[in-house]
Amino acid sequence: MVKEEDKLQMLRDILLVDDRQVANAVNQRLDVITQTIEERAKLSEKVDPIIQEKLDEFVAEIPVTLGPTITKTLKKEIANSQDAVVEALYPIMGKMIKRYVQNEIKVLSETINKKVNNTFSLISLKRKMRARFTGVKESDLILAEANPPAINEVFLIQKGSGILLGNHSTTETVDKDMISGMLTAIKSFVEDAFTGGNQNLENIEYELYTIHIQNFYNFYIAVVVSGNYTRSFESQLENKLFKLSKKLSPSVSHLSREETDSFLEKFFKK
Amino acid sequence: MKISKKIVLLGQFGVGKSSLLRRFLENVFETDYKPTLGVQIKKKMLDLPSGDKLSMIIWDLEGFMAIAKARASYLLGSEGFIYVFDVTRPITYENLEQELDFIALKYNNVALQVIGNKCDLENHDIAKNHLEKKGIMVHSYVSAKTGEGVQEVFTDLAKKLSK
Ligand SMILES: Nc1nc2c(ncn2[C@@H]2O[C@H](COP(=O)(O)OP(=O)(O)OP(=O)(O)O)[C@@H](O)[C@H]2O)c(=O)[nH]1
Ligand SMILES: [Mg+2]
Repeated sequence: MVKEEDKLQMLRDILLVDDRQVANAVNQRLDVITQTIEERAKLSEKVDPIIQEKLDEFVAEIPVTLGPTITKTLKKEIANSQDAVVEALYPIMGKMIKRYVQNEIKVLSETINKKVNNTFSLISLKRKMRARFTGVKESDLILAEANPPAINEVFLIQKGSGILLGNHSTTETVDKDMISGMLTAIKSFVEDAFTGGNQNLENIEYELYTIHIQNFYNFYIAVVVSGNYTRSFESQLENKLFKLSKKLSPSVSHLSREETDSFLEKFFKK
Repeated sequence: MKISKKIVLLGQFGVGKSSLLRRFLENVFETDYKPTLGVQIKKKMLDLPSGDKLSMIIWDLEGFMAIAKARASYLLGSEGFIYVFDVTRPITYENLEQELDFIALKYNNVALQVIGNKCDLENHDIAKNHLEKKGIMVHSYVSAKTGEGVQEVFTDLAKKLSK
């Protein structure tokens, strides 16, 4: 049997001695930690500059050591996802090109304006007045004056078959029926190429001519224009052809070739 | 009065479509083969018995393996087809049945004439027997080289179209 006193001692041991031991251990730990921290601080003072230096060196060397690897990876990534890359670049490139062209045109137009300002004559005065009243830029007027746009030929062509329904021309050249067939073949070839749906070919440029193409329901009209094909001329022509189609559409299917020809001739003489 | 009609020359590569057209228009023949790329468009004016003038706008297409593969937009608005095969090459007429079925289905209103070409090279009995067995009507067996039967290929079609 354990004596009453021993019991008390045991209890004291558990409560106090252990306590002291724990406190001791904790103190020891604290010392170690404090020491480590102090040492680290001391070490860090010495080591940090070295690390910084190494780091700088490393950064400086990345292009040399890692460059090729990175480039290779990038190249592979781009090759594997070309569509995505094009998709991403396209708007930027488009904008760049557009801005470039706009700028070039501005420069050109400014140079011409300068010339205009320097030469004062009756013609330029007239032109200035015209620009003021019509709202067309003076430089555009000069461009157009230098080589005014003119309608050389008008083809009224049946859609699909490419059969010439009517023609008006200021020159007697190659066979009109064959031209109208070939134009239709080219047009449908180009339009087939855009599988995205209802795309229409609106313009063909060759050498000094522009062929303006305007689509209507059963036919289309191709107008061969020589000279400077300006925006304002284009919109004038568009309006004219809208008027033409309004007059012609109801009767186009039962007019003969000769009747259509003379209709066109009268219409474009005006 | 002047009437215009679109006619299309159809058939596999090298059966002689362009040669037939040249024989008809210029009365010449060349032995070397210049494949047609895309399409070539020619015109021939004919005087009709009625006194009217018919201008045949003839689209000479590049050869194909099957008409379903031809560019459909080139066939739009046609009033006549001339389907040419080569009597010396069975591959150019063996599938004619399917080809004509396709035309009947998609181009029901287009007048059609089937022509066997290069009759100067070989007796055309093999081709004829084969096609007769299948009940296929051939308009004529001709030769672009000798010119035999070539005018009629086009003038018969013109007659059909002007009725
Ligand atoms: N012997 C002979 N050769 C012919 C005849 N017709 C065409 N050829 C030859 O066959 C070859 C092809 O003739 P093309 O008229 O170019 O054939 P095609 O059908 O227009 O060919 P593609 O335009 O490629 O579809 C040429 O070398 C011609 O000289 C014929 O009646 N007799
Ligand atoms: Mg050919």
